[in-house]
Amino acid sequence: MARRIIGIDTGGTFTDFVLMDGGEITVHKEPSTPDNPARAVVSGFRRLLGTDPVEVVHGSTVATNALLERRGSRAALITTAGFEDVLTIGRQTRTSIYELDVEKAPPLVPRERTFGVAERVGPQGDVLETLDLEQLPGLVRSLLELEIDSVAVCLLHAYANPAHEVAIRSAIEAEVAAFITASHEVLPEFREYERCSTTVANAYVGPVMASYLADIGEHLEPDRVRIMQSNGGIVPLSAAQRRGVQTILSGPAGGVVGGFEIGRTAGFDHVITFDMGGTSTDVSLSPGHISRTAESFIGELPIRLPVIDVHTVGAGGGSIAFRDPGGSLRVGPRSAGAVPGPICYDRGGEEITVTDANLYLGHLSSRHFLEGAQELLIDPVTEALSRFAADLGLAPETAAEGILSVANATMERAIRVISMERGFDPRDFTLVCFGGAGAMHAADLARNLGIPRILVPQAAGILSALGMLLADYVRDYSQTLLLSLHGLDPTVLEMAFVELEKRAHHEYKEEGFATERILTERSLDMRYVGQGFELNVPMDGDLTEQFHQRHQRRYGYSDPNRPVEIVNVRLRAVARTEKPSLPHDEIVGEDASDAVLGEHEMVFAGERYPACLVARSKLSPGNQLAGPALVVEYSTTTVVPPDFHCQVDRWHNLILEPTGLRSPRRAEDVGEVR
Amino acid sequence: MNKKSESPAAVPWDPVTLEVFRNLFYSVAEEMGVALCRTSFSPNIKERRDYSCAVFDGEGHMVAQGEHMPVHLGSMPLSVQAAIEHTSMGPGDMVAVNDPFCGGTHLPDITLVQPVYLEGDDKPTFYVANRAHHSDVGGMSPGSMPLSRSIYQEGIRIPPVRIVKEDQVDADLMALILANVRTPTEREGDLTAQVASNRTGARRLGAIAGKYGVDVVVDYMHHLQSYAERMTREAIRAIPDGVYEFEDCLDDDGQGNGPLPIVVTLTIDGDEARIDFTGSAPQAEGSVNAIYAITLSAVMYCFRVIVPFAIPSNYGTLQPLEIVAPEGSLLNARPPAAVAGGNVETSQRIVDTVLGALSQAIPGRIPAASSGTMNNLTLGGTDPRTGAAFAYYETIAGGMGARPGSDGLDATHTHMTNSLNTPIEALEHAYPFLVRRYEIRRGSGGSGRFRGGNGIRREIELLCPGQITILSDRRLNPPYGLDGGSPGRTGRNILIEGGVELEIPSKASVWVQQHTTISIRTPGGGGYGQSPPDEPPESD
Repeated sequence: MARRIIGIDTGGTFTDFVLMDGGEITVHKEPSTPDNPARAVVSGFRRLLGTDPVEVVHGSTVATNALLERRGSRAALITTAGFEDVLTIGRQTRTSIYELDVEKAPPLVPRERTFGVAERVGPQGDVLETLDLEQLPGLVRSLLELEIDSVAVCLLHAYANPAHEVAIRSAIEAEVAAFITASHEVLPEFREYERCSTTVANAYVGPVMASYLADIGEHLEPDRVRIMQSNGGIVPLSAAQRRGVQTILSGPAGGVVGGFEIGRTAGFDHVITFDMGGTSTDVSLSPGHISRTAESFIGELPIRLPVIDVHTVGAGGGSIAFRDPGGSLRVGPRSAGAVPGPICYDRGGEEITVTDANLYLGHLSSRHFLEGAQELLIDPVTEALSRFAADLGLAPETAAEGILSVANATMERAIRVISMERGFDPRDFTLVCFGGAGAMHAADLARNLGIPRILVPQAAGILSALGMLLADYVRDYSQTLLLSLHGLDPTVLEMAFVELEKRAHHEYKEEGFATERILTERSLDMRYVGQGFELNVPMDGDLTEQFHQRHQRRYGYSDPNRPVEIVNVRLRAVARTEKPSLPHDEIVGEDASDAVLGEHEMVFAGERYPACLVARSKLSPGNQLAGPALVVEYSTTTVVPPDFHCQVDRWHNLILEPTGLRSPRRAEDVGEVR
Repeated sequence: MNKKSESPAAVPWDPVTLEVFRNLFYSVAEEMGVALCRTSFSPNIKERRDYSCAVFDGEGHMVAQGEHMPVHLGSMPLSVQAAIEHTSMGPGDMVAVNDPFCGGTHLPDITLVQPVYLEGDDKPTFYVANRAHHSDVGGMSPGSMPLSRSIYQEGIRIPPVRIVKEDQVDADLMALILANVRTPTEREGDLTAQVASNRTGARRLGAIAGKYGVDVVVDYMHHLQSYAERMTREAIRAIPDGVYEFEDCLDDDGQGNGPLPIVVTLTIDGDEARIDFTGSAPQAEGSVNAIYAITLSAVMYCFRVIVPFAIPSNYGTLQPLEIVAPEGSLLNARPPAAVAGGNVETSQRIVDTVLGALSQAIPGRIPAASSGTMNNLTLGGTDPRTGAAFAYYETIAGGMGARPGSDGLDATHTHMTNSLNTPIEALEHAYPFLVRRYEIRRGSGGSGRFRGGNGIRREIELLCPGQITILSDRRLNPPYGLDGGSPGRTGRNILIEGGVELEIPSKASVWVQQHTTISIRTPGGGGYGQSPPDEPPESD
């Protein structure tokens, strides 16, 4: 029997459902129910499937929102005495140097629920001061009095020796009915603020996530439900209940996995995903594999677990344009959001946004937004833009194009950060764009960065849910070692990995996975002795050589004479899932005339063009479009400028490529520096 | 300097391209910073981000600086000017400088300046520069933040010299520098990171020139300077015309002289400001002297924070400001004055003084005084685990002054610095230290309608004999409150040996035995506004 699997992605506005049944794909959108997201999940599920058995992969924003909106559990923190303020002090910096009214996000656990215990472990795991067990009953009493939901335990150097954390954990466990999480379980790595922040985040979102998932499990059979994690992999529901923190950045993960897999299927395995929404834009680079980082933040809080490396900038379709007192045209970071929204939405918005500029230039169709469910108003935009342009001393069209240029400069910068700054050349990549606004801006970005190809997936609107169906089971393990590579006893390293592998096999086994199914990948975080940042190097071949090469690539120099040290060992344990194949059709032919809706005026570089208005849903594989053209569909619009060409591939993806320019110039090659 | 500068660019500008270039130049500086920070070795650079990177036009006037260290704002351009005046830099050359009396600030800050020659040109079209605070540059005490009495005690002094010639590091010069510092391997690594950072910036500028055309790029550099100037003038115009005076002081100079007054007379006239420090203390015997570049940076910072928009920090910002700092004074010291602490301590007090004057001009917009000291702590000795010399330098945050509408932040670096702390777990791995306590010093923020932020209490035990040097201030004269708010609590430095506590002065250097603990309690920020009458008194 063919495998039936459904991906369910909770978004701010809609909860998306993608059902794969053999080769068939069914899509459904259900309005989200933010007060209890489970309602939309369950009702959509019932509508689509009744009570038929099916595997479920779910991406939830419950933990994310609990954290961002500060609606998490009532948590307590237990830490080494004398260090109770680690979370408040943070890195002792302010987030903006030139703002006198700068604020700092308060810790998730206030000082009155933070307890110091007398104990001390040294950097090598040596016990400098034994944990006095007699203080624990008093601690337990305090926790009971405070009626907390969860407890985080984070002691200094617990990554090197967790004995005291273990002892505290079991003392509390015996007496207090609460969600308990210890730092050596969540993140056995050095740097106390980051480890504590991550552990406390788990305590803060843990109970909220656990009860949400219990709710979901009740309706959808818990054994069949998998949960999407921030690292791009899935875990069984029970595991996600223990580690809510691992889902905090899962929002963009589905999109990156989906974008990467669709690119790979279409023949492009080096992709940059570009997800431009209303208020922010996410970009991620996948050079043949999905990139991950352990240096992420949510809001101002560091979460040091491996997550898909997504770079976010605060610019999107809703970003507001304005003239500053120095006469410069600025865009964002303020956004009109969904309410009042852009002027053209006619919901009371009075400030010009990027979306308004797109509409004015014909890069968005007023009649085909959400399949015509909402008409976009052009007249108030024209009026506001004329005033705005006059103020800047520009023609309205120039001002509108200027807004796009300024917004694109921010996007371009974001892509530079993840590509050139990390030693990758964008010319080697395909830009996979999604989100409401991505495909409107992609061509300009590709032109500026020399990216040779753009892919607009058929499933751009549900890419994230689709990505969940394509994800593997992934678990990440790590351990800080801090050992010099020189004269390193290889058995020490081997032992550290074996220890992590034991944990991985044990956890998978508990969930019914056969050991043979588990693939493990070993890697090391390394640096030159004395540096403060690490590079991740796979355990394969000459480690030192690999490290020097990576350092050279990333930072432009390496020093073979300088000693290298190992900071962390990392293990990624993967259980592959059977991938549903993406629906595709045979090539029909080049002629796209069946899909043409009519003529539409578009502006590019100050010139007005009569362009083709095309319905995405009517396009067939093999169809070709010459720019300028505007391809409209339910939640996405694709702009094909005059110097671009578009064709539809077998998977119904739009592939845009620049015409004429065979090999785009690389920006770095143009200006020779002596 | 007090004149309206004509826009030097002949070509008209448009508001879109201006904004695009503003982002571009800023991103070049930021990218240079990423390269420097991630590959350097000094904790000061890699963990604490005590560095700055900037982009300059062909005259050496600053165009954009990354959001790095404010204390480097006005002083980076002077490094570039010194490099231009005192050396001849060909293609592929780079100049190093740390001499406070010739383009530097204090000796630990080493600046590398690179001219950017475009293909076929015989003079540089741009410059890039970066500055990093090195953990040790020699001198009388480890960490090179000594309680010195002359520059000659503070470390190796590097006038503008070419450290890279035609893309090759000058090995002789490097050897000379490394022979004069305590931790040569680390120094070499940091300098290499600085070289890589400049090359990153030069490559980006070359690419930008290739894409947009050199003339356009050069024109927009000038347009951005005029833009920053217009924005600063706008901000000054919003301040009522008048003469505003304020006085604050440093506790002492570490040589038994003090207090050292800093006096400012601020004159606002239309869209220009005159900041006159006449009447301030003469240059001191101890190491708290500021050179002119520091005074410039501090004043620039004060005007930068009252501009309501993010503007590039550049040459234009300075044009509406006339700064008078009498030569031979604490704010414009002459050689061979000791200057190690001017950068870190005196700069903060200059800010307190200028903001104090501004608080009279624009009441309701300026916060009470923040902790006003960087609490520079240096621990040096020989690590018994490795037998190698070590020099560890850190700064410790204090309380932020209360704002006219909100409490000051606890335990946060303010004004002229924003450097990170070193994680305790990293510190204990790298050095023979045991951190005993790292917590908020409750009750240290001044009371008021809005409370000043609290300082920090940090206690480090040395696990071997060593030398402890503390360079701090606000131990005698507290950070002021405003509008009826109370001052913040003064800081304290305490040595704990065998359970016995010994209070040491704001500036002290002592040799100690193994297992001695240094306890630093940093000042709280001043309060703002009258306290409600029922507020209970706070205790330390």
